[in-house]
Amino acid sequence: MKEIATIAIFGLLAALLPLLIGENPYLTGLLITILMMASLSSAWNILGGFAGQYSFGHAAYFGAGAYTTMILLSRFTVNPLLTVLAGIGVACMIALLTGTIVFRLRGHYFALASIAVAEIVRLSVLNFEFTGGAQGILLADVTLWGVDLNSKNPFYYGMLVVLLCTLFLTAYLKRSKTGYYLQAIREDQDAAASLGIDIARYKNRALLMSAALTSVTGSLYALYIRFIDTSAVLDLRLSIEIILTAIIGGVGTLWGAVLGALLLVPLAEMLRSNVLGDLLVKGGFIPETSTLGLFLKENLAHAHVLVYGIITVLCILYLPKGILGLFRRRK
Amino acid sequence: MIQHILHITHVSKHFGGNVAVSDVSFSVDEKEIFGLIGPNGAGKTTLFNCMTGFFPVTSGDIIFDSKKINTLRPDQICRLGMVRTWQRVKPLGSLTVLENVMIGAFSITNATGEANIMAMEQLHAVGLSDYATKPAGSLPIGLKKKLELARVLASRPKMLLLDEICGGLNHTETDSILAIIRAVRNSGTTIVFIEHDMKAVTSICDRIVVLNSGEKLAEGTPEEITTNPAVIAAYLGGGHHA
Amino acid sequence: MMFLQSLLSGILTGGVYALAGIGMSLVFGVMNISNFAHGDLMMLGMYLAYFAFTLLHIDPYLALLLIIPTAFLFGFMMEKIFINRVINHPHQNQILLTIGLGLIMSNTALLAFSSDPKILTTSYSSSAVTPLDGISLSLPLLFSFAITCLITAILYLFLSKSSTGMALRATSQNREAAQLMGINVAKMSAIAFGIGTSLAATAGALIAPTYYIHPLAGHSFLLKAFTICVLGGLGSVVGAAVGGLIIGVVESMASTYISSDWKDVVVFVLFLAVLLLRPEGLFGKKGGQ
Repeated sequence: MKEIATIAIFGLLAALLPLLIGENPYLTGLLITILMMASLSSAWNILGGFAGQYSFGHAAYFGAGAYTTMILLSRFTVNPLLTVLAGIGVACMIALLTGTIVFRLRGHYFALASIAVAEIVRLSVLNFEFTGGAQGILLADVTLWGVDLNSKNPFYYGMLVVLLCTLFLTAYLKRSKTGYYLQAIREDQDAAASLGIDIARYKNRALLMSAALTSVTGSLYALYIRFIDTSAVLDLRLSIEIILTAIIGGVGTLWGAVLGALLLVPLAEMLRSNVLGDLLVKGGFIPETSTLGLFLKENLAHAHVLVYGIITVLCILYLPKGILGLFRRRK
Repeated sequence: MIQHILHITHVSKHFGGNVAVSDVSFSVDEKEIFGLIGPNGAGKTTLFNCMTGFFPVTSGDIIFDSKKINTLRPDQICRLGMVRTWQRVKPLGSLTVLENVMIGAFSITNATGEANIMAMEQLHAVGLSDYATKPAGSLPIGLKKKLELARVLASRPKMLLLDEICGGLNHTETDSILAIIRAVRNSGTTIVFIEHDMKAVTSICDRIVVLNSGEKLAEGTPEEITTNPAVIAAYLGGGHHA
Repeated sequence: MMFLQSLLSGILTGGVYALAGIGMSLVFGVMNISNFAHGDLMMLGMYLAYFAFTLLHIDPYLALLLIIPTAFLFGFMMEKIFINRVINHPHQNQILLTIGLGLIMSNTALLAFSSDPKILTTSYSSSAVTPLDGISLSLPLLFSFAITCLITAILYLFLSKSSTGMALRATSQNREAAQLMGINVAKMSAIAFGIGTSLAATAGALIAPTYYIHPLAGHSFLLKAFTICVLGGLGSVVGAAVGGLIIGVVESMASTYISSDWKDVVVFVLFLAVLLLRPEGLFGKKGGQ
């Protein structure tokens, strides 16, 4: 009950935020990305945090949503919301296929297979023609119920709704039979099986929930950006960012993904727009004309994946339970 | 008339060239406390793993409650009412003691509130209610064994398979577990009991089967078993741990 | 003819893949760790060969004499500094750590060497032999294959005859028992990782003359190496050698009869098929965890 109330208050505050910041496309865009990463990592957490099954290929489900929406909208005049549903269908089919193949197996196999499936999806999209291949798909404009969706606010609220749904689902799962069963599977599969838990079935259930929510986020992203290609929505890098966001905040916690997104997305943005490099130079820490200064100015914008790598390593070595894990009562 | 609840007929289990269980047959009656004993490596735990679906049998049949269960998965067998404990206890470490027992109760209810109540009752019954909110991984071994027992009892099994539930416990702990087991039997549950400790077995079991090197060596009442020369020889030769 | 050509070049490439696969399988066997930095270690081998050639004017095959010990030391240190700290962690943490290390390697390479692909052109790069009419085998690939066979043979002898090799195999069989028998398991892990790294780097150096050298090149080899390991049975060195050849041939056949765009897809579908039909691999023990 307390958690439900906290989510509701968070939702309310987040809903009021655009009124506070007014017309600021840059900041709204950043907030949309934060909400998106928070939803993606929360959805990933249903499978990774509860069931302990780390998917390293969640980009496949994000891409399934994004591509289904874009392919349908670029060919037919349909309600965008219907394309979101179609995306869920496609993502669930991929999830069921993956789950059926690997959830009988244990250990490293799911991690490996999740990457293989994601790569199959990525390469297929790249090689087929109806998916736009390497060029990607561009959409001129999107209308919903006659309203042109070219402002950012509708997507801010769209992403917020998805995030809130994911958080409510997580809070509900924590107190439900399914959630307890998933946690039992995470802790000890033999014990879980001996207590009557159909392991493959419950893992599949978690994967389906996770994939469906991830796909909705993907569809929304596509409608928001209106241009997608494989490097934007199907790359292994995205899968890793999703995990990293969850890990930094704390895997298996309700708010970990939100916290992780609040930290990582602005950091990545600062690196990308070279704010950090400018700060170091302008703050007088590094002379602008020195070799290092020139090098940083030149390269820091491309270094955000490198920084992600460093954060991943440090996080696993020094903070494996994430920031929220530090405050948890357990063990 | 006596009802057989479990039939083991000519069960064998091979691992590659190793024969772990060889042509073992016996039947367990309803509401009986049945002992399965034998020296280390006699195949007791392997037989348990076959009975509960963790290992496929190489040959033979296992019939529980008039159903052939050889090819079922562990979770299906559990839901039929045959539930096991583990020799090396398997607490769900980061969940609380109460949550561990709730997971057992979830096999007969879908409602969290109901599972909670049933789990609390079970914790009372085994004397663990003071530890309900502790993480299961933090309990000492004696209490972990009790938790293991409470967790399977919460699923209200027809038949309970206990794998060395008293192993590593002192006399007081053993006695309190044996008392719980008697109470469980009196409420109508059949119990199959793997034990090293001859004393524990003979004091509580109605009938006993002795395994040695994967084969059935003897079957009978505790008195018959303790006076059987072949059993005594096997135990003396096989390093008895009592 | 087309079939034979495809088969032979598949076997030649597969030999090099096998080397990478053996390295990964050895690490998996001894340490029970899936090394997701393996592809990036291959990439480092490619660059080592490239710079040995362009800066020091050493023939890429001769450069192996430098690359093998350098890579061994690199891997050994990497295990000592990073990997051994997660050896008892859940496997997802191990995977994430090696992914992180891989990202650091590939993106440092991206900053240092830029994203322009490099090409290592030796005097014999485009030479080929034609043992039969209509069959043409690339000379660099033939060299690579011969060296692969030599290295595999040396490794096999090392593992089966030397005391360190036997200790490695014992650790791979049963870590706890090996420890009880007085084997220094921590040292074996570092040695295994060192050997794994030098095999990856060697594989990288061997394909460098026939491949684009790029900071992110390791990415596509990583999944291939996994496919090889799973196909051969995780942890089985012999399995990985055979798995490598199979993958090389499958890839080559897919390029010939479907299209080279789809060859990786075919390999990954094969990977899933193995998981579905024979998860313990062709040579693995039944019931692999």
